[in-house]
Amino acid sequence: MRKYALLPFNFITILNHEILINELGDFIITPIGTVQKILSHSISDEDLYKTLVSNFFVTEEILPSLLDIYASRLRTKKGFLDDKTSLHIFVLTLRCNQNCIYCQASSQEETSKHCSMSLEDMTASVQMMFHSPSPNLTMEFQGGEPSLEIDLIRHGIETAEEINKEKNRKLTYVLCTNCRKLSDDMLELCKQYNILISTSLDGPSYIHNKNRGREDSYEKTIAGINKARAVLGNEFVSALMTTSELALDYPKEIVDEYVSDGFNGIFLRALNPYGLAAQNEDWKRYNQRFISFYKTAVDYIIEINKHGIFFREEYASIILRKMLTPYTTGFVDLQSPAGTINSVIVYNYDGYVYASDESRMLAEIHDYSFRLGKVTDKYEDVFCGSVAKRMGKIWANEALAGCSSCPIKVYCGADPVRHHSTQGDMYGFRPTSLVCEKNKAIIEYLFSLIVERGDEVLPIFRRWVK
Amino acid sequence: MKERFEIDSNSNVLFVTSQCNNHCIMCCQPPQKDDDFNFCFNQNIKLIKSAPKETKVVCITGGEPTLAGDSFIELVSLVRKELPLTDIHVLSNGRAFSDNEFVHKLKVAGEDKVFIGVPLHSDFFRDHDIISGAKGAFNETMLGIYNLANEGILIELRIVINKLNYYRLPQLAKYIFKNLYFVSWVAFMGMEDTGWASKNAETIWVEPIDYASQLCRAVKELDDWDIPVAIYNIPLCLLPTEYHRFATRSISDWKTRYLDICNDCSVRFECCGLFGTSMRNYQGLKAI
Ligand code: SF4
Ligand code: SF4
Repeated sequence: MRKYALLPFNFITILNHEILINELGDFIITPIGTVQKILSHSISDEDLYKTLVSNFFVTEEILPSLLDIYASRLRTKKGFLDDKTSLHIFVLTLRCNQNCIYCQASSQEETSKHCSMSLEDMTASVQMMFHSPSPNLTMEFQGGEPSLEIDLIRHGIETAEEINKEKNRKLTYVLCTNCRKLSDDMLELCKQYNILISTSLDGPSYIHNKNRGREDSYEKTIAGINKARAVLGNEFVSALMTTSELALDYPKEIVDEYVSDGFNGIFLRALNPYGLAAQNEDWKRYNQRFISFYKTAVDYIIEINKHGIFFREEYASIILRKMLTPYTTGFVDLQSPAGTINSVIVYNYDGYVYASDESRMLAEIHDYSFRLGKVTDKYEDVFCGSVAKRMGKIWANEALAGCSSCPIKVYCGADPVRHHSTQGDMYGFRPTSLVCEKNKAIIEYLFSLIVERGDEVLPIFRRWVK
Repeated sequence: MKERFEIDSNSNVLFVTSQCNNHCIMCCQPPQKDDDFNFCFNQNIKLIKSAPKETKVVCITGGEPTLAGDSFIELVSLVRKELPLTDIHVLSNGRAFSDNEFVHKLKVAGEDKVFIGVPLHSDFFRDHDIISGAKGAFNETMLGIYNLANEGILIELRIVINKLNYYRLPQLAKYIFKNLYFVSWVAFMGMEDTGWASKNAETIWVEPIDYASQLCRAVKELDDWDIPVAIYNIPLCLLPTEYHRFATRSISDWKTRYLDICNDCSVRFECCGLFGTSMRNYQGLKAI
């Protein structure tokens, strides 16, 4: 072997293998002891040596001639930063027609007043959205139940379409609705502007109805999904699930529900510690149970795929895209720099702008730490104001204690808002951080599948990430 | 080679020079030292001027055509002027494209009609350099590919399978997806047993039946990622059935040869057959 120098990489040990990971997220599975051999210049496996060189783990040149390729690939990986904020969430109201047991938005009675966005604030919010340089703008309507505010939605879209005549962005609309009361008017509006429907479905009726606090919720949601599909087409309707404590015992049943409803994927989402959900007693225990729930479900989903059905788990797909492809991944919860402000922003019914969906939920428990300004303020003062600046110092995991030396940080992200709400400090302390525990467990689990069952799972994973 | 171009032929060739700055160990037309630039250039002008306007594609090759420098660019311009509908397929080792000014000139001359076939022999630089017989070739070629992509010029990667690179074909496929995912397609090519390939047979000859499994793994990986991939010059009877769809009739029409057994073969008309110029037949051929 020739003389060589190391390029930046780190490693983790999984199932008696060392997985070497570089800054691009490329990885090499090697026998245990390999890192020691690399350091002591005693690699005897010539093939491994070639792989190390060609994948930028070691170099024979002091100034590697092709290092610019590495740089260009890093730029591609961080491509989500190029466009700035593209996801703009509009929280229209807290009014709702359901009582979900873990409601993360502190919803109000359907008939209550004073908790909906004003038309003027909607106009100002849309104007602010167009200050974002992103060529793609997504307006996502949330609540409460946003479909109770159809006039506000119409006003928002019409304002956006009008401004867009000059600005020429690619506009996408999303309506997050529980589908209970999808009126014909609402669906007509969806049809007119190609609004995507994102609904909540937690699994079979015995789980969904318990979670959602109504006897008929499941029935209504399924009927709503079918109605929306009939009018808009299947590809316009998607569903999200939230894993309640009850759900933890039914991973397979929940997956089966999604498959039989004709969805081709599921996002297995853990509960967030906000709003009502913050009263949930033992988060640590929940977190651990969620991790085993998640693994069982993903295992089961892989089995389903082996029977020739295309069905993917979305969270795994995001992480696998980072592991297996050279492309960028625009998912706000797993970004560094964090997705808050950089990729997502929230215009709340109260007339204020917040750093993220979770930030506005904190406001419901009177924590205004991530309130960036009023929707009528100047764009610069909101997006680059004092809160944004403070967050900017700690939103890259490359620069956070605990994360900076973490071998799997390229697959993970920084989450200042979550650490603020769970640890009282947005910098966060990784050894007791539950987000860290969860992400680590999931990433290591995916690696263990690749190490142990690579030939079987990789063709499936490749289909998931395309 | 042809005296005149034919509209549908895949062998309308503009031969620029027989000189080369690589010395690939399996080269089928080993380079010469003669100064043949002017002679070839004049021949090529004649060919271009007399070609039918509907000619689908011309292939600019050598030796290494970029060694002609500005007159290579001039040739491309001339094809564009005389044959505005014709695609221009350049076969180059890609090293000259490490100069981005040169690449820019090529783009101006060839506009959207030019696409470049570049050989990549390995993901490991030294293996590539050994196979191409030139130290530093890998780095220059890689840089060249990036410069071409940056100008929006279409790129075909050509991998000639030999004894020195076949066992890393799966790693090469992964390398291509990770580092060169923007290429238009990737061609894995069987070797011709002629020229230096015959001379160096001891070191480099490998039978398709011996590398089929590595080849198929590489093809599958690229195909899984939706990178178009093709197999050239390998008869269908040497490939597993599910890989037949990647094989094309790649051998220039004037070179193709079939055996007697091929007459009874059900895929005779989809198969590329064998090189007429090859010294030996592959092992394991059988009618299917
Ligand atoms: S949060 Fe945990 S898993 Fe993620 S980068 Fe930081 S230390 Fe690593
Ligand atoms: S027998 Fe001849 S025609 Fe048939 S696949 Fe083999 S080489 Fe091709």
